Amino acid sequence: MSIRETNLAVYGNRFNAYTELRLQRNRSTQIALLNGDVVSNTKTSDGGVSARVFKDGVWGFASRPQIDNDSVIATVDEATRNAALLARHAARPEIVLPRTKTFKESDFATKRPRLSQQQSIEFLQVIDAHIAKTYPDLKSRSVARLDLDMEKHLYTADASEGYSNTTRSLIQVRMTTTNDAGQPVEYSKTFGGRGQFEDVFTEPDALFADIAATHRHLMNKRKAVAPRAGLHDVVLDSDLAGILAHEAIGHTTEADIVQEGSVAGDYIGKLVASPLITLVDFANTYRGETLPVPIYVDDEGVESRDAILIENGVLKNFMHNKESSVLFGVPPTGNARAYTFSDEPLIRMRNTAILPGKDKLDDMIASIEDGYYLLRPSNGQADSTSEFMFGVTLGYEIKNGKLGSAITDTTISGVAFDMLKTVTMVSDDLSWTCAGMCGKKTLIPVGMGGPSIKCRVHLGGV
Amino acid sequence: MIDRALAERSLDALLKRGFQKARVRLVGSDQHELQAEFGHTNLLRTTHNTELGLLGIVDDKQGTLTLNNVSDDGLADAVENLWAVTSGSRADSANDISEAQAKRVFKSGPDAPDLDLMYQRIAEALDHAKSNYPTLKMGNASISFASRHALFLNSNGVDFDTTRSAYHANLMFTARDGTDVSSFNYTGVTLAALDKPLVSHATTDTLMRQTTEQVRTKKVPRKFTGDMIVTPDCIGDFLGFLLGNIGNQPLISGTSLYKDSLGQPVADAALTLHSRPRDLVGGYFVTGDGYEAQNATVVEEGVLRSFLLDHYGARKTGRARAVTGGGAWVVDAGSTPLDAMIRDVKSGILITRFSGGRPNDKGDFSGIAKNSYYIENGAVAFPISETMVSGNMAALLTNIVAVSSERADYGSGIFPWVRVGGIGIS
Repeated sequence: MSIRETNLAVYGNRFNAYTELRLQRNRSTQIALLNGDVVSNTKTSDGGVSARVFKDGVWGFASRPQIDNDSVIATVDEATRNAALLARHAARPEIVLPRTKTFKESDFATKRPRLSQQQSIEFLQVIDAHIAKTYPDLKSRSVARLDLDMEKHLYTADASEGYSNTTRSLIQVRMTTTNDAGQPVEYSKTFGGRGQFEDVFTEPDALFADIAATHRHLMNKRKAVAPRAGLHDVVLDSDLAGILAHEAIGHTTEADIVQEGSVAGDYIGKLVASPLITLVDFANTYRGETLPVPIYVDDEGVESRDAILIENGVLKNFMHNKESSVLFGVPPTGNARAYTFSDEPLIRMRNTAILPGKDKLDDMIASIEDGYYLLRPSNGQADSTSEFMFGVTLGYEIKNGKLGSAITDTTISGVAFDMLKTVTMVSDDLSWTCAGMCGKKTLIPVGMGGPSIKCRVHLGGV
Repeated sequence: MIDRALAERSLDALLKRGFQKARVRLVGSDQHELQAEFGHTNLLRTTHNTELGLLGIVDDKQGTLTLNNVSDDGLADAVENLWAVTSGSRADSANDISEAQAKRVFKSGPDAPDLDLMYQRIAEALDHAKSNYPTLKMGNASISFASRHALFLNSNGVDFDTTRSAYHANLMFTARDGTDVSSFNYTGVTLAALDKPLVSHATTDTLMRQTTEQVRTKKVPRKFTGDMIVTPDCIGDFLGFLLGNIGNQPLISGTSLYKDSLGQPVADAALTLHSRPRDLVGGYFVTGDGYEAQNATVVEEGVLRSFLLDHYGARKTGRARAVTGGGAWVVDAGSTPLDAMIRDVKSGILITRFSGGRPNDKGDFSGIAKNSYYIENGAVAFPISETMVSGNMAALLTNIVAVSSERADYGSGIFPWVRVGGIGIS
């Protein structure tokens, strides 16, 4: 059965309560070269059917790997039985979920001829050979391709229906050298984003300028100095502002996290940030541009809409699924998303960004007498208190308004709803990334965006 | 649960296609999960899956393909697809499959879940929290029963049939008193049976109590270099740098700090670290590269006794293959009772959760001490927030001062409390 062509509506007669029926297949390709050797050469296809049923205030869920008529029927029936079984133990007052009816299709598959695995490996080998030849000072290099296509077809008891094929393709370049003390120093950069490989990457040499910049930063890191631990004036470049938007604010404003006790629960309508800050979780489009992870209908059949979280410094909204929207008395925002066919949808971000301001990056750096310009995050984590942490793999000192030495890898932290009040400048540009995966019970691709912002954060260091 | 004939047909099909070496892994899994959110059990989830992993080698070129729900028609397509993936790769003489071993059947764990008992245990945990810790807000709490039947065949005659099942419980919680909110905390245990209340396992009840204490915190009084007592809940974060640097990639690329450290001290003599996949509930029978897993001592009284190279990494580097696939970590208990360990700290912290950036290749790290306490003059003084700890992961292991006589058993690992010195705290 084709995921797209399957008529899911015919199974509606088996629904005896609110039910979501979803066919899904995730396809991924992973190729990795380490110092020229192919150390990973893998294709994965993982798919099946799932059903989720809501009855007597509880949910039943089931999934199977076969996508055929018998499997769909068995899965719907098992999810229905699970809801009934649980209700016998734990029935709650019935919640009437909002009825939503929409039909949306989106397909980000390439129209170009697909590259064979051999052509894909050769593409990476050109990049690898260029790095080996151009940068003989490297101790180690790796080039990896990571693709993920998520194809879904959803039908709900409200006759809401959605088909999506959301794709992304990434190339990660990692370089390692040694410093004067013989210690390893590394830096990596990930390129790419929404779309399949043939649309995202045209020719290997299109990446060479960015690879040169990556190498330049690595060489700067060879002579990096340790940052001074403590609170500092900093400029967070767009990648860091994006992860700040996602981790530090985004997670605290997911309605399920609010229900668990997030400090944001008390702040609706209150000033939580500088008036320069507006922060939005976009569904799919910003200023006419399709975003990295475009969601048109979520996995509960809700038409996705933008969630304005902070507007001019004031906390306005949370992100919702159907159930939380009832509890909070607001419309659902279409944030319910599942990663694999066997996952139930959770409240997840889509494309979260701080909106641009009016300042120029150069002016922002020039305005700092003694601080840091921080460019690239590694990992990040948030908390119910809004205390956040991000690893920083690339940053520079700012001395008297000018960039100085690179700094060693560090960690920044702060309490987001305090830190955002320290923002005094916001740059007038905006860039997006979708290289990361958000982890919250399950993984899922997300988009993050931001301008550069000037603020005060706590740095780890000496 | 799975069709042995499909695994055998798959191996035959790979060899007939022309692969000189081939491996098949067929895995059938069933999972039953009860989940509670915000103090109410609200989801019963049952998932079934079948996954077929194929690996082929031809002319020293290797490819792998993984897919689920394979029919005989799909198998023919999969073999052709794998041929295209593999033949397009580059030759590497280190590519290989595991050597011939005796045919084995392994089994552990219950045959089926006790759903009523699963419900009872999760309800009991929610009641315990409500009765004993009124300010505790339970977030996502779940008990799952996962059963996994796997066949592992290769063209050298390897034939492993493994069945493994276990319960796994996760609890996540935050405390809120008025508008004062704690950091969230969480724990998880893997269990062969649900014979005891969930809160009695590992440090679960302690974490619940501590979280209620952490709604009001203070910053550490000053920036200082001091001791850190690492709880079993987060000791894994501080062993990860060593373990991540004795595996394939850093040793093949030559970037590992530990590349010349086999047989050398890498930690204080108080640290002995084992991988015990054959003993722990959360262990495994077969390594990822196709060998019967064995227990191994990785660090013995501070000395590195084994790298964690798999078959490929061993051939690539010319070093020995590890007999374990890693994980199932067990740290030997020390001789210092936890109370005495705290009494010996003049100025430091007790760290329960570490939220930090990935250490760089040199091992330098910094991060926030979450759900943690300030220790002063031998006593736990108060819960802390906005506290950064920094240091070097390699140095941290050599700066171990004491290992506790008590340990916590998570089913997937067994760990003591460990006191280390020389940590930057600000």
